[in-house]
Amino acid sequence: MSGLLQSFVDGLLNPLTTPAHVLTLLALALLLARQPQRFTGVLVFALALAGGFLAIVLAVETTPARTVLLAVAVALGVMVAAAWAPKLLACLLAAIAGVALALDSPPQAVTITEAYATLGGTALGACAMLVVVAAIAAHANADWQRLGLRIVGSWIAASAILVLAVQLR
Amino acid sequence: MRDHEHSNIAGALGGALVVAMLLASRPAFAHIVDGSATGGFLGGFAHPLFGLDHVVAMVAVGLWGSFLGPPAIWLLPITFPMVMALGGAIAILGVPVPAVEIGIASSAIVLGSMIALAARPPLAVAALIVGAFAIFHGHAHGAELPPGTDAVAFSVGFVLATGLLHLAGIAFGLLTRWPAGRIGVRAAGVGIALVGALFLSKAI
Repeated sequence: MSGLLQSFVDGLLNPLTTPAHVLTLLALALLLARQPQRFTGVLVFALALAGGFLAIVLAVETTPARTVLLAVAVALGVMVAAAWAPKLLACLLAAIAGVALALDSPPQAVTITEAYATLGGTALGACAMLVVVAAIAAHANADWQRLGLRIVGSWIAASAILVLAVQLR
Repeated sequence: MRDHEHSNIAGALGGALVVAMLLASRPAFAHIVDGSATGGFLGGFAHPLFGLDHVVAMVAVGLWGSFLGPPAIWLLPITFPMVMALGGAIAILGVPVPAVEIGIASSAIVLGSMIALAARPPLAVAALIVGAFAIFHGHAHGAELPPGTDAVAFSVGFVLATGLLHLAGIAFGLLTRWPAGRIGVRAAGVGIALVGALFLSKAI
């Protein structure tokens, strides 16, 4: 596999294999699934992700992005568990999640081109996961399915709280 | 009559199983861990399963929720992991909580008794009881989080195992739809309380 393609695949898999990213994306997708206009939330997330990548390209210093990402996962998980999702707050959290996820995904590439390929892969992987999970969850309309999603939200919040504590220790 | 016989057989088998598990078990302490994500997940997943004191309390939460019916059937299993995580966070941050093992054993006694007595307190009270005990369980888990473990994978594993134990309790609790099942569930409550009493005697 060429270096460019390998970098793209690495980037693509990054949000799907980094547990903190998976937790946040799952929680955001479950929250957006309950929004009538979930496309807005996905768009906000994608734009924020692009903004975060721009910050990486402009060589922003090390940030506490992982901690912020986990804090957002806690908030999103609690909101999913409580079945409480005001549109404005959901969009705000989507924006913060997008920026934090981007800043927490600095490419480990050798060349500039490979770095761009990695960032492109990460953007595609994160957005694809968000859209697919939100689309599936939006079809979970039976009572037991909705309850199941709320329970999953509480599990995400619980996991994120513990990891956040480890980060802050 | 046949239902009665089945209840007796189920009760005897359940009792034998509880005794066997008691003989084979110790409170939750040492567990499988290594620094990898897989090791972290497996260690976290195994953590609540290798302490009978934790297991019976987790199952009791689901069982009581199922016994109380909606909305407790989902509210209690949602409340417990989040408050438990707060307890875990307190432990990870180094804040001591007194008498954790006594609290865990007491949780089994209280929750088991609630089921055995078919107690139906207001939902807020039930959530408060479950939440208060969740702090002790979370603190025990958080304090035992091994250094060098993948914290995210460990946390996901142990929250997942806890949730599955709740679901096992809920599934068992669905037997309350039948008269014989109600007796079986209440008998399980007695068993849970007895297990709690045994661990309390060890902890004191």
